[in-house]
Amino acid sequence: MSGPQRPLTLPDLLEDETQREDLATTLEHPAPRARSAEEERLLALQKRDTRRKWFWRIAGYVFFLGVWELASGRILNENLLPGPTRIIQTFPDLVESGRFLSSYAATLTRIGIGFGCAFVFGVLLGIFTQNKWIDGFFKDATTISLVSPGLIWALTGLVIWGFEPEGWIFAIFMTTFALVTVNVAEGIRALPKDLMDMSRAFGVTTWRRQRDIVVPFLAPFIFTALRFGFSVGWKVTVLTEVFSSNEGIGFEMRVASQLFRMDEFFTWALSFFIFTLILEKLVLQRYENKFFRWRQEVTV
Amino acid sequence: MATVVTTAPTRDSGLRQVLKSPRTARILFPFAVLALWYFIYYTIDSRIFPTPQKVLQFMWEEVTLTSGVRYSSVAANLYVQFAISIIRLTIGFFVALILGTVIGLAMGISKSVDAFFHDWVMAVLAMPALVWALFLGLALGFSHLGPILAVILAGLPFVIINVREGVRNTPKELFDMARAFDVPQNKITRHVLLPSLMPFFFAAIRYAYAIGWKGLIIAEVFASDRGMGWTIKFWYDAHRAHGVIGYALFFIIFALALEKLVFDPLAERAFKWRPKVDALEMAEGDFGAVTGEGFLLQESQVEDIVAIESMEGEARDG
Repeated sequence: MSGPQRPLTLPDLLEDETQREDLATTLEHPAPRARSAEEERLLALQKRDTRRKWFWRIAGYVFFLGVWELASGRILNENLLPGPTRIIQTFPDLVESGRFLSSYAATLTRIGIGFGCAFVFGVLLGIFTQNKWIDGFFKDATTISLVSPGLIWALTGLVIWGFEPEGWIFAIFMTTFALVTVNVAEGIRALPKDLMDMSRAFGVTTWRRQRDIVVPFLAPFIFTALRFGFSVGWKVTVLTEVFSSNEGIGFEMRVASQLFRMDEFFTWALSFFIFTLILEKLVLQRYENKFFRWRQEVTV
Repeated sequence: MATVVTTAPTRDSGLRQVLKSPRTARILFPFAVLALWYFIYYTIDSRIFPTPQKVLQFMWEEVTLTSGVRYSSVAANLYVQFAISIIRLTIGFFVALILGTVIGLAMGISKSVDAFFHDWVMAVLAMPALVWALFLGLALGFSHLGPILAVILAGLPFVIINVREGVRNTPKELFDMARAFDVPQNKITRHVLLPSLMPFFFAAIRYAYAIGWKGLIIAEVFASDRGMGWTIKFWYDAHRAHGVIGYALFFIIFALALEKLVFDPLAERAFKWRPKVDALEMAEGDFGAVTGEGFLLQESQVEDIVAIESMEGEARDG
């Protein structure tokens, strides 16, 4: 919940560059001291902790993969639950067949369109919850969207619009917009009241207040919303593909399970996991760091 | 300033005030949905899109058991299907809760256990329920076990993550103080650990139930021949839009009733010991951010405080 917080040091507190230089020169006088015994000990402890963590992490992988490998062919039929080794063998075949890229492209297009609509609407609605009337009007809509299963939206959308894009856009939209709204509204509630009050006192217009105070303050909340919404939208997108598509990951999974090609099925599932991992670790987190570099601390 | 406070609310006439109140807006919402429904009805090129009356009639027949539809080889109706789903959900939910609490506590207390499980919890979390549903359907056939396992797999990661987060967030100072004053261990557990764990545990319950329900429905579509999920799929396969929309409304009604009648009172009860402002902070800080669904918690209280604050704001405006 709370991001990594570095303890503030004195130079951080001095905003003026010259002041900081002054301080640096005065601090430089006592020659750069060697690490104290205490620090050495802490460093050693830290190292030991990291080593231990990695040991247990690898132990976890060995254990779970081992159980999986042993279960395949012994507890469950080998064709029903292919072990990790077989899945790794299937992986290159699937990539070579070219279905991999086209499926991901199809699914990502869907999620881009569907979640894109939901995201824009959700953020706007979240910002507009500052207005009590709009908040009241959409309150039940957000609650319903949060608590009802994605499947009912998928089926409803498809039975109304058939294979038209409206069907799956409706399904993705209804499942994800409330997640975005709730996170943004969360940020609205945490708005720095004193800043808002001051801007009101000095007669700043509502529009400028939104642009210069609300939106910058909301940025981290919007990011959380993006991540939450994307992970949920991803799942409902796959579900809509099962019912109303002839391409995409959901479709491929369904076909693989219907043809009893479980090795392919699990390969799709695995690729799915790897993809979300890459997206989360490499893209979203890096982008987030870049985006918030101007901030001293990120509070999400 | 005090005079401004008393005159500010009387600016509007009575009718305008009623129209401008959030409650009116809330009541207006269903009518807006109905209008949209009719708009779609008259513009869409579809032979099966129903009017609201038709859906309501269908729902009424289902509730009063006069529709005469027999869903499968077992003589099932709305209530039987619903009961089957609820029983599956409850069993899976409790297993997930117990298992998740044990693993979550261990992960919160020991960093080694955390490293052991962490990546695998994330893996299970990232999997869509569809994967479990399709696999369990093939592996276990159309038994009760498949959907129950689907509930467990869907709910477990949320319990684990919330409980672990709760253990990590216990106030260290309170522990230290309790130890300094020689408070016995069982008293520390009861008065320090449990109360501080409570909000997280509650979030775990709420979230595991909601996610478990969503997972169950999908599992029932692909890996079962009965239950609510199967029933809505039945109407979908029959291309009866009024059946699908009617059952979708049943789902929504159920979920809303659960929120308002079970979880909200439960939340109020669980956090009675907390002062009100704390409840507000918690609703904002812990729940919303972690679960995304916790915003429903003690909404009325939040509203009260926000109302007071905005009144103060208005006073300052004047």
